[in-house]
Amino acid sequence: MPYHLFKCSECIPEREKHAVIKGPGETLADALPLGYLNTIPGSISERGCAYCGAKHVIGTPMKDVIHLSHGPVGCTYDTWQTKRYISDNDNFQLKYTFATDMKEKHIVFGAEKLLKQTIIDSFKAVPHIKHMTIYQTCASALIGDDINAIAQEVMEEMPGVDIFVCNSPGFGGPSQSGGHHKINIAWINQKVGTFEPEITSDYVINYVGEYNIQGDQEVMQDYFKRMGIQVLSTFTGNGSYDGLRGMHLAHLNVLECARSAEYICNELRQRYGTPRLDIDGFGFEPLGNSLRKIGLFFGIEDRAQTIIEEETARWKPELEWYKARLTGKKVCLWPGGSKLWHWAHVIHDEMGVDVVSVYTKFGHQGDMEKGIARCEEGALAIDDPNELEGLEAMDMLQPDIIFTGKRPGEVAKKVRVPYLNAHAYHNGPWKGFEGWVRFARDIYNAIYSPIHELSKLDISKDEIPTDKGFVTRRMLSDANLPDEVRNDPNLRPYTGKYDSLVDLRGKTYPTFEPQAVAV
Amino acid sequence: MACEIKEKERPGCINPIFTCQPAGAQFASIGIKECIGIVHGGQGCVMFVRLVFSQHFKESFEIASSSVHEDGAVFGACGRVEQAVDVLLMRYPDVKVVPIISTCSTEVIGDDIDGVVTKLNAGLLKEKYPDREVHLIPIHTPSFVGSMVSGYDVAVKDFVSHFATRTEPNGKLNLLTGWVNPGDVTELKHLVSAMGIDATVLFEIESFDAPLMPHGNHVAHGSTTMDDLRGTANAMGTIALNPYEGGRAAKYLQQEFDIPTIIGPTPIGIRNTDTFLKNLKTLTGKPIPESLVRERGIALDAITDLTHMFFADKRVAIYGNPDLVIGLAEFCLDLEMKPTLLLLGDDNPNYKTDPRIKALQENVDHDMEIVTNADFWELEDRIKNKGLELDLILGHSKGRFISIDYNIPMFRVGFPTYDRAGMHRHPVVGYAGATWLAEQMANTLFSDMEYKKNKEWVLNMW
Amino acid sequence: MRCDTETTTMGDAMRDDVMKDRIEQLVDYIMKKCLWQFHSRAWDRTRQNEGILTRTRQLLCDEPVDISTPDARCYWVDAVCLADAFRTRYAWLADMSKDDIAVLMQGLHERIEFLTVTGSLNLELTDQKY
Repeated sequence: MPYHLFKCSECIPEREKHAVIKGPGETLADALPLGYLNTIPGSISERGCAYCGAKHVIGTPMKDVIHLSHGPVGCTYDTWQTKRYISDNDNFQLKYTFATDMKEKHIVFGAEKLLKQTIIDSFKAVPHIKHMTIYQTCASALIGDDINAIAQEVMEEMPGVDIFVCNSPGFGGPSQSGGHHKINIAWINQKVGTFEPEITSDYVINYVGEYNIQGDQEVMQDYFKRMGIQVLSTFTGNGSYDGLRGMHLAHLNVLECARSAEYICNELRQRYGTPRLDIDGFGFEPLGNSLRKIGLFFGIEDRAQTIIEEETARWKPELEWYKARLTGKKVCLWPGGSKLWHWAHVIHDEMGVDVVSVYTKFGHQGDMEKGIARCEEGALAIDDPNELEGLEAMDMLQPDIIFTGKRPGEVAKKVRVPYLNAHAYHNGPWKGFEGWVRFARDIYNAIYSPIHELSKLDISKDEIPTDKGFVTRRMLSDANLPDEVRNDPNLRPYTGKYDSLVDLRGKTYPTFEPQAVAV
Repeated sequence: MACEIKEKERPGCINPIFTCQPAGAQFASIGIKECIGIVHGGQGCVMFVRLVFSQHFKESFEIASSSVHEDGAVFGACGRVEQAVDVLLMRYPDVKVVPIISTCSTEVIGDDIDGVVTKLNAGLLKEKYPDREVHLIPIHTPSFVGSMVSGYDVAVKDFVSHFATRTEPNGKLNLLTGWVNPGDVTELKHLVSAMGIDATVLFEIESFDAPLMPHGNHVAHGSTTMDDLRGTANAMGTIALNPYEGGRAAKYLQQEFDIPTIIGPTPIGIRNTDTFLKNLKTLTGKPIPESLVRERGIALDAITDLTHMFFADKRVAIYGNPDLVIGLAEFCLDLEMKPTLLLLGDDNPNYKTDPRIKALQENVDHDMEIVTNADFWELEDRIKNKGLELDLILGHSKGRFISIDYNIPMFRVGFPTYDRAGMHRHPVVGYAGATWLAEQMANTLFSDMEYKKNKEWVLNMW
Repeated sequence: MRCDTETTTMGDAMRDDVMKDRIEQLVDYIMKKCLWQFHSRAWDRTRQNEGILTRTRQLLCDEPVDISTPDARCYWVDAVCLADAFRTRYAWLADMSKDDIAVLMQGLHERIEFLTVTGSLNLELTDQKY
């Protein structure tokens, strides 16, 4: 039976079609979990809402923008300081969040006047910021405020400011994914084509579905700049409002998180003929292939090859050090959406770990297709997991580590399973060659934590070892390693800095002469 | 020299100090044993509240959602509550208390959660769960009214009024703690027990600090029982420490069951703790024991080392939950400091007539502003554009960037405090809390002196 | 040459089995390593499969490849990487005739089209809009 019904969910049989075990010889045509369906109420699902999908996930990483939510204050509070998407403008978007703070009288009499005044006051409070995104919430959607009309009014009265409106109330869809969709479509409909950024290279890309978690975008941008490629916009991590208005001018859309941002790439392809190239920024081989593809597209494959060779030579010995120590460890890969397929095969290939389960909180069936295709046989795939199913799965699979969100990570901790934050990362960035080693390092540190080892000891029953005053990670990880691996002079643990971005900001890049014939 | 109280003039909000009502109701719900709440609204209203609890406590708490989607928002979503209750009861056999917590969306569409509860009581519970004790409690917490503070207050009252049942006097004291941390409950229980008083603590949240055990799964959850709540009607007295967080329930018990009641003060600092002990004595007739005289002495001994040398005239801004902010301001004055700006994050009209605030207005001898319905911009704008000079900020983690960007030392206190380790484990109330607060404020100033090389050599000889 | 010797001594059934096995190896590579086959709509997937697998066959069979438009160029990019990976990983490719490679790639195309489109259980594939 490929479908898997959890014991804890026998009383809600509709859950059966949401989990699959990848059986020997079975294909995607044999079994695929249902996905992106309405959540079962009371199941204690881990899903968020469409407002947060639009505002928190995609809108707010834009760095030079006032992010204003039209509604009671809670939505704004909730989606503020719960992410690690940084920016190179001193994190304006992390530090500031704006709300109309709708009260009861506004619910009764309407909140359009309040909205207008708040827009004006917000621009006045931070006069260096000229752009704004306004997010509808459940309350403002239900009372029917015409946010677009107010935004238009203000733009007419305040020359020099530009406002984007995203109507994605919390109830709009089964999960945050509904909001990803709405803001993609709203952005291309309202803003793409309204600004013409300066083109400075023969090779121009939009980097799409990348949110600069702990600096991922800046790492990738470094590679692109080394290749002489102009990153016209990033949708949306570390991205600028005007750059994103100019998305129509790029030659190629390089798509990372297809779950949250394929919509805009598809629309750009339909409307402007810009091709969509799906890439993986995680893992040496997938990243190398990705850079190579971009290089090939522009006829500058050699530049990609140089980077791949340099970076591989620098970091591969460190990755291999960790692989030797992580091989055979069992992982539950339980992220939100795209990482289940970004990581499923490559942590197996390049770190040696076995992915025993994947899940997705808000992914669609397409994400499961990708994830299951990339997993090894025997893996348990779960759509829209809930608290009890997660615990049952951990009990059944006995993973050595799980990659998931902050709060579910606390659940795992209580059953003595270490976790890494799959959304915000522990000590990222995890993209890029160095980043991939940092990820391996974080996994290693979690699995071989001496404190974690102590958590399994029952001092009331077990024999208490008294021969050691301490244990190091190495003592644990190397205990059963063959000598030639343990002492391999070619391998070494991570040698980078705590903040791997410091050398990127302010870095100068070679100039490439424009070529006569652009692509 | 004046103390002024005013409401923020600007509409809207830049960087909120509080979240909305349903979060407060959810915080109350996790304090009760065998209770899992269902928040009737969009999923974010639960997902993010669980997240912020997990940021603060580094624990996961179970709260369910009715998962209102588009169809529910258009056609009404009461059916989602009915299904949520059934699913929850089927899968969590120990659950007996299920608050149905409303949100802005379901209040605007007018879902009748009281009607749903009546229907479920007569239908589903009778038919499918006839042998199971289940309490469905509607709690109305529209997000556009009040704040997380009033949401907590409303929920505590709704839990108490649902369960409180007059039987025999139980000789116990009701102690409503307000929105506090496990460390506070430990200290409060210690004080009460030192007085030889048997108290019903609402809520017993010491167990929020859950262990990582070698076997089993020890999920963090409060341990106040249904019997505790029932017994509140039979108590010899009630003390609600925080007027805005539990005051409503205390008044209910007073009016409904004639229980002698004292509301306030928040026992922050030596003086307010003295008053708290006096109130315990008044309600129970028990004397204050020598052991507490000694504990008080240890606290005074520690604090005396700090006041004139380090705290005198230090200008402090304080933000957060109103009872906490007022209590901290009072303590700061006792410490010779100058609380110059108090920010209360909602528009509760009662602040203006709060006797504690009136006392500040009548007696402080330095310039002081109290802003209600405040956001963080009220603080930042004053620092950035209006020349406000501060030596210390007291408040929760959401204000961290003001401290960081303007180089003002900040001691984390209140909810949430996710950017410092283990803050929930320490009390701010009682004598132990007074010591902790004073010493940590001092250490915060000391680190800042060293970081800025601002008379850091003073500490050579102390 | 080894391969030729084998095939000449094989019956048709065995030859089919070998071909089937080889197709499955290529399918496995694509499913594990590639993303292009998983666009979100059926018509999009069909277009992707056609665009990339056709060019991969052309590259493997030394036929001319259309890269005249940005879209075509983008397909070619994925095809180049795929053809290289096939050549590197599957030594038996070097021993196959162009005709056999064309048959192999036709079988691969059909199999991928089945797994991602006609046989796919993904209910969103037939949505009209993105």
